[in-house]
Amino acid sequence: MTDLSHTPPRRRLRLLTADGLLSAYTWAFLVFMFLPLLLMILSSFNDTSPPSVTEWQGFTTKWYTFFWMPEETLRADPVLRSLDRDRFVSCFGNSLYVAAMVVPLSLLLGLAGAVLLTRWRSRANSALWWVLLSPMLAPGIVLGLSALVFWSRLGVDAGLFTIVMAQTTFIAGYPMLILMARLQRQPVELEEAALDLGATPFRVFRRLTLPYLAPALASAAVIALMASMENYNTTMFAKGGACTFATEIGAMARNPNGHPPVINAVGTVIIALTVAGALLHTFLSRREQGR
Amino acid sequence: MRGKDVTLDSVSITYPNGFTAVEPTDLVVEAGEFFSILGPSGCGKTTILRAVSGFIEPSAGRVLIGGEDMAGSGPNARPTALIFQNLALFPLMPVWENVAFGLEARGIGKKARREKAQELLDLVALGDQGDKLPSELSGGQRQRVAIARALAVEPAVLLLDEPLSALDLKLRQHMRAELRAIQKKTGVTFIYITHDQGEALTMSDRIAVMNNGVIEQVGTGDEIYSHPRTAFAASFVGETNRFEGRIADVEAGMAQIETPLGRFRARNPDQLEPGSEAMLFVRPEAMRIGGDENRFEAHLVRRDLEGAFLNLFFDARGTEIAVHVTNDGHAPELHDAAPMPLGFAAAQAVILPRGALARTGQELAAQ
Ligand SMILES: Nc1ncnc2c1ncn2[C@@H]1O[C@H](COP(=O)(O)OP(=O)(O)OP(=O)(O)O)[C@@H](O)[C@H]1O
Ligand SMILES: [Mg+2]
Repeated sequence: MTDLSHTPPRRRLRLLTADGLLSAYTWAFLVFMFLPLLLMILSSFNDTSPPSVTEWQGFTTKWYTFFWMPEETLRADPVLRSLDRDRFVSCFGNSLYVAAMVVPLSLLLGLAGAVLLTRWRSRANSALWWVLLSPMLAPGIVLGLSALVFWSRLGVDAGLFTIVMAQTTFIAGYPMLILMARLQRQPVELEEAALDLGATPFRVFRRLTLPYLAPALASAAVIALMASMENYNTTMFAKGGACTFATEIGAMARNPNGHPPVINAVGTVIIALTVAGALLHTFLSRREQGR
Repeated sequence: MRGKDVTLDSVSITYPNGFTAVEPTDLVVEAGEFFSILGPSGCGKTTILRAVSGFIEPSAGRVLIGGEDMAGSGPNARPTALIFQNLALFPLMPVWENVAFGLEARGIGKKARREKAQELLDLVALGDQGDKLPSELSGGQRQRVAIARALAVEPAVLLLDEPLSALDLKLRQHMRAELRAIQKKTGVTFIYITHDQGEALTMSDRIAVMNNGVIEQVGTGDEIYSHPRTAFAASFVGETNRFEGRIADVEAGMAQIETPLGRFRARNPDQLEPGSEAMLFVRPEAMRIGGDENRFEAHLVRRDLEGAFLNLFFDARGTEIAVHVTNDGHAPELHDAAPMPLGFAAAQAVILPRGALARTGQELAAQ
């Protein structure tokens, strides 16, 4: 905070309002960001449906146990009974399958793009940069639709395959940006020195570039995984008759009787996993630095 | 003898942006020679080295190593090893893997690699540091790892790009001696780049003095110090006094030059004709108090004690004159304000065509 004791009164007033505005804005921002999450977490423990925090009906964990509770208990509950548990689980399985394809594909494409853009100095570079990044900037709907149209022309039905293709087009941009940032910090002399010692470009890549990129590859993989799991709009248009975790939750949320609190429970678990992941990453990088 | 000779045959190098860093150059470095390229920052030393090691192709001319034209062979196909200006050790590999990297690239098994690496680490007195990471070594130790790594591939030509510039003075002097010893022991041709003339003079068999993309003179340290062939070589290597003027008269191998301080006689290796603009150079240690064959008057303005030597600075009508004398108790004192005669022998001074000079310390500091 600014020390105001030596400031003339008029200026002091101005500073006060400027400071006040700034902190009010900061608080508003935090509330806007976190209040919905907080409400969601609270309502996921409330024994009422549709979810609510204003009418507290008692603490329950049944929205969490939905996925493994015995069939009889499920039938007994008026809200849970109407949900198709098997379909939900299989859609989640689809998401894992899609991510398992999208993550390695995006890493490969992103790596290739990053190496190309940082090591191949040419006038075409800046044009290429825009071409490779444009899918990230394009509206997700457009990507989904164009994947759908493109592959159906080739006689491929919309489904998991088209989801993988559509997602990869824009998710590959994230690894590319992350890997580029790291490659730019690797002095070119290292690669030159390895070449000079008789290594082939492939060995230089395997022995120097890849180990150097390993931490960046790991974070790129995590980010690609998250992007793939949570993607809704592109997937929605490319999915055809298939479903993923995100589209299924979307469908449940559009329930005319209000969405079941199971969604809130799932959301809470995702938040918990994300926070745990971030903490783990911080812890590991601290330890790395300490070494 | 393991070394090979290196020949530059009218090599010139122009960068893609159109800047010509090396003007057409002919140069022969003998096999097994310790050859230095000496020149100020930005004169094109690294550029020449990169052309020899294969990172850039000359824009014109040929690079030959051991008589073989190197055109089209990349850095991994040439019998050279380059020690980079910033060493470029591989940070994620332990020291011994760094040293053995070239062997790994040649498909040699791990056990043999480890043994050879150990041998080389012993050579550079780092036998017990093999398992550390480069970041865990001191500057001088890293230096030696870089040398061991380059020697591991048994190059015929070792190219060194100012490898000692990051070290402090003591370590630098020690490493100079070590480099020289390694070169003698291995017989590899060393091409050593430096902008430190002391380094070039103490280590090299021969030196090339370079300025602005042009090699101005090639010769032994003695030749370059005592018989500079250009104004730049005379002013860049060692300290020197300079008198500018016009040739007045010539006679067998000698000439007289008319300067604002008088007419002086000196060697005329370029056989300059009367009337031509010229510069006379004479070393501070060749100056004599009391006058000599050539004489003029000056008064003492500064007296720097260097222990066994005294550096005296005189003012001769606005021109600063440096004189080095032994500290034998006969040197003039500062309170001798009266002008005194200075001079030098004709045989110890040289007259050269007027030309570009090395920048003085003052000019560099003013940048
Ligand atoms: N890639 C490049 N493109 C254009 N010009 C370059 C390039 N690399 C170097 N130069 C220029 O070429 C000239 C010679 O560069 P070089 O690196 O050979 O100098 P140097 O003698 O090694 O200097 P230093 O002692 O500072 O290392 C410099 O003027 C430099 O600006
Ligand atoms: Mg250089």
